[in-house]
Amino acid sequence: MTDRGNLPRGRAAFWLVVSLALAACDGDQSALDPAGEDASVLALLFWVMVAGAVVLFLMMNGLFFYFTRVKVRSQSRAVARWLIVGGGIVLPVTVLGALLTWGLTILPDHRQAGDGLRIRVTGEQWWWRVEYWPEGSDTPIVSANELRFPAGRRTELILSSAHVIHSFWIPALGGKMDMFPGRETRLSLRPTEPGRYRGQCAEFCGTSHAWMAIEAQVMPPEAFAAWLGTEARSANLPATAAAQAGMALFNREGCGACHAIRGTPHVGRVGPDLTHVGGRATLAAGRLPMSIEALQAWIVQPDRLKPGALMPAYPHLTRAETLQLATYLRGLE
Amino acid sequence: MSRTILITLAVVAGLGALVGASVVGFGLYNVSAQSGHLPGVSWLLHTTFRHSVRLRAQDGGASMPDLTDPDLIALGAGHFATGCLPCHAAPGRQRAAAVRSMLPEPPPILEAIEGWGPSELHWIIQNGARMTGMPAWPAENRPDEVWSVVAYLEAIPPDPGAPALRIPDTATLSRIRDPQTYCATCHEAVAGPVPDLSLLSPAQIEAALRAFASGQRPSGIMQQAVSQVRPDDFAALAAYFGVHPQDASDDPRREVTRRLPGASLAQRGTRDVPACHACHGPGAAGSFAATGAPLLDGQREAYLARQLHLWREGVRTGSALMTAAARDLTDAQIAELARWYADRGRAETARPR
Repeated sequence: MTDRGNLPRGRAAFWLVVSLALAACDGDQSALDPAGEDASVLALLFWVMVAGAVVLFLMMNGLFFYFTRVKVRSQSRAVARWLIVGGGIVLPVTVLGALLTWGLTILPDHRQAGDGLRIRVTGEQWWWRVEYWPEGSDTPIVSANELRFPAGRRTELILSSAHVIHSFWIPALGGKMDMFPGRETRLSLRPTEPGRYRGQCAEFCGTSHAWMAIEAQVMPPEAFAAWLGTEARSANLPATAAAQAGMALFNREGCGACHAIRGTPHVGRVGPDLTHVGGRATLAAGRLPMSIEALQAWIVQPDRLKPGALMPAYPHLTRAETLQLATYLRGLE
Repeated sequence: MSRTILITLAVVAGLGALVGASVVGFGLYNVSAQSGHLPGVSWLLHTTFRHSVRLRAQDGGASMPDLTDPDLIALGAGHFATGCLPCHAAPGRQRAAAVRSMLPEPPPILEAIEGWGPSELHWIIQNGARMTGMPAWPAENRPDEVWSVVAYLEAIPPDPGAPALRIPDTATLSRIRDPQTYCATCHEAVAGPVPDLSLLSPAQIEAALRAFASGQRPSGIMQQAVSQVRPDDFAALAAYFGVHPQDASDDPRREVTRRLPGASLAQRGTRDVPACHACHGPGAAGSFAATGAPLLDGQREAYLARQLHLWREGVRTGSALMTAAARDLTDAQIAELARWYADRGRAETARPR
């Protein structure tokens, strides 16, 4: 193999790496592709810092080049002092001071008052307990593992955790905020671009930390209001014979000990509320796209999909039974 | 000089090993129990035993229940009848001639318990004693059960001439050959930690009997009891004591008259504790299957509390669901749940007796 043969391959690899790196900049989980006011501020901060860093990098290397290649001789004391005091003290103090001032003025914005809707999110191992508290309501609309926001409105998030520290982060919508057991932290977000975004627990929280994601949907305000109205309703009654059989299985297997389905006698609170589980885009906190097959796989052996998950396995159910159960749950939209 | 000493020591050690090997290998030691121990050996062994028990039983009383509880005494008497009586004899009765020829000779029960306090008796019954023939408790991790035998022993009047306690006649019990009557001596005559079998289905009872027989479900009392019954009789016993699904009415639910703190926990659960009623409530389908969750309404409080502790501590296993459900219960929650279920009316599924 000749050198000539190697060159294009090396170049291809270079462009592959560059394009992969750039590809990471957009998509549904990128702070560099902001879809809300808060994320835009952070993205701006990032780009200003990148630009500043590039300028500083060029200046440093320019000076280095100048003094080692262009004007190679001893410098006077005055020049040396000017360089050390100016470049070593005055410049960093000015730049860092300006960044600090800017950063500190942005900080309170992350907790500013919202337009009425509050969402309480509690980190569990490894999923998210979600409660919508519309303005003036005294009982929440309970959901799980998915967040919906009205576009253009400021929504307050009240964050907490059940057992260990988690961190709430939807990069396209805003900064991250830690969630602590026994303590409430706050974050307010004003998403602007309707669409689907992905969030991820950003603090190691146990075996399945990597599988603790959250789907976030930003919707036009009217669509959001309509959706919230649906979400507040009791669960659908099973429509088909298979779904009815699934409902009976849900009863028989005691699923209601841990899961609630509003409109049925099942009021368990250990696991996610399943009233509208079929209407969510993903299953088990972003682990699998929602489908009947995914539900079946999860019911038979949750631990295989999410190591350490608290939900017990149901290996004694037949395939036909898990199909019925999954059909029932998928129908809870 | 030092070399001579070393050689002498090596020769002596070699000879000692040779003698020892001959005793073991050629059977020179006489293991006959006929002649008893050499003079002083009995005293040495017994003194070692006494001091060993005293040292180890010092903090054994921490988990001591109320030993005057009649149910506990009666349960202990039931176990004594088959587990202890063959060697120690009923109080005031004579031991069998064969037993009296054992070495060491098991003392009559009144003599055996003399000078021991409850926590020491508990230690002896739970651990047994090496090379004496005194067995350890048949199940590990069940110190709770041992207290019932201690309660019985504490209730024996010290004077054999005193009027008999109102407990099953242990001497008669040991001669019972009819398995139904045998099981009924505890399951129908004793409450407290003994479950009411008429709330369980035959399938559940049979599964439990097999779990005790295989040791999968640890219980010194029940493992001893099932060893007294032929496995062929398990199904018939289960059918006799259990409730049959066809006996169950459609809605066995009873109104709860009193508000007890366990109600919310049992019916709704918490964020850490699943709702018990989802599986154990009346009307939960599958309650009559061998693997199904038993109905708990009207079950005995002491039994429920004890079983919940066993599930939580991982002593009772066999259901991943139940292990997960009990994991985060506090002592107070266990007491509330047991109280609440016991207080609920017996489900009408229960077979009338």
